Amino acid sequence: MDSQLLYNITQQEAFGVFIAVYFYLTGLSAGSFILSTLAYGFGMERYKSLGRVGVILATVLLIIAPLFLLLHIGVPHRAWHLFVYLNFESPITWGSFLLILYPINCIIYGYFMFKEKKKQTRLFGLIGIPLAISVHGYTGFILAFGKARALWNTALMPILFLVSAIVSGIALMILVCIIKDRFFSKLKKIDYPLLENLGKMLAWVIVFDLFLVGCDILVLLISHSEAQEVAHLLISGKFFPLFLIVENLLGKIVPFTLLSVPRLRNLATMIIASLLVVIGIFFMRYVVVVGGEFIPLM
Amino acid sequence: MKANKKRYAMLIDLRKCIGCNTCAVVCKSENNVPLSVWRSWVKRVEKGTFPHVKEYFLPIVCNNCAKPICVTVCPVKASIQRPDGIVYVDPHRCIGCRYCMASCPYGVRHINPLTKIVEKCFWCFHRVDAGLDPACVLSCPTGAIFFGDSSDPESQIAKALAENAVQVIKAELGTDPQTYYIGLDQEVVDTKESEGE
Repeated sequence: MDSQLLYNITQQEAFGVFIAVYFYLTGLSAGSFILSTLAYGFGMERYKSLGRVGVILATVLLIIAPLFLLLHIGVPHRAWHLFVYLNFESPITWGSFLLILYPINCIIYGYFMFKEKKKQTRLFGLIGIPLAISVHGYTGFILAFGKARALWNTALMPILFLVSAIVSGIALMILVCIIKDRFFSKLKKIDYPLLENLGKMLAWVIVFDLFLVGCDILVLLISHSEAQEVAHLLISGKFFPLFLIVENLLGKIVPFTLLSVPRLRNLATMIIASLLVVIGIFFMRYVVVVGGEFIPLM
Repeated sequence: MKANKKRYAMLIDLRKCIGCNTCAVVCKSENNVPLSVWRSWVKRVEKGTFPHVKEYFLPIVCNNCAKPICVTVCPVKASIQRPDGIVYVDPHRCIGCRYCMASCPYGVRHINPLTKIVEKCFWCFHRVDAGLDPACVLSCPTGAIFFGDSSDPESQIAKALAENAVQVIKAELGTDPQTYYIGLDQEVVDTKESEGE
């Protein structure tokens, strides 16, 4: 039927870009942490040089991330309310404790690693894994509990966030390892076989991420009317350039090709692929957060 | 017999609404709502093509849901559901994280641009507690808005809810809205800015 809106109020943006940046940083942190435990938690010796880089990245990123929350909230000097007036039904309350416990654990884990105390490092590395998964998984729950929005209110959201966190974590690790080896190591020599391993790992996690994004969009496309509306916003509407071109083509398919075809894989393409992934995942967060609340509710 | 627990509800008879916006204006004045934000407003939608055209009005207030998602997600318990069902924000508790705004399916919450905390329609409970009707109910020139204790079978609102075909907005979301409408058109609810352009 022909109908036309004559008057309605415009809604304020609820989350916006600061929250997208916050999700992005916690994702990078969780991804870096998990990589650092490959050697120190699970004893995969060939990834040993990732340990220290990983734990430093994880800690620093997770100290920066909550600052964006303080920028976002309206009354930052009341942030202490989060620790006093608890509502255990709210993912944000889960998060306020995770955001304290996880960096503390990172610092202890890092301390033992630099002191080269193997046993304690392993213990705090293994404690850190569920914390790292929770600290990023809970951000997926924040969106999944936002039942007003079809793009958010899906059980896929936490796992989608975790997988994209690992994708961005590996890519960032490749870039940081190259910079570290090239400029800050004694030999100034890049450990290419290690990077190649990371690159292959990245390629296959990207495939899993693409699979999850595909599942999400396909189900949205045949779900209820608001779900269809937001799916079309992403694949053919205003968010099409960011979602399809930047996030999925440049951020996933191109890097996957560069990393998985042996003839294309070298140091230069690895740097390009990792840069594209790190940028692509930022736009993934942006599209989910800002695109999710783009369509008016009423 | 034990007396029923008090449960406030609102009923808006859209057949009587003339789209005068009095409810939206008195709400602003009663609750000191700053410029640029609204606790209640009247959505207008035009249906049909000339000469078969009709303009529809949809006054919107908070649904004060029986199962409010905003209360579930508030991390500091600043969104509170009173025993009589009214949902309000404690202005001294709210940190302005906007999670309630993000999860409310009705978009009835806003950040106060001056205080930066979240505010919403709470059916003028300061008036209700004093035995008065909410400002919009009192001021509606056609008497289209009813308010009262729906658990009391003798109340005007309980009778009106029982004797009319009533609808709520987005019932499928399981929030159990307590603002009911008579003559609610789904097309009017669904028509959004992006359409018709």
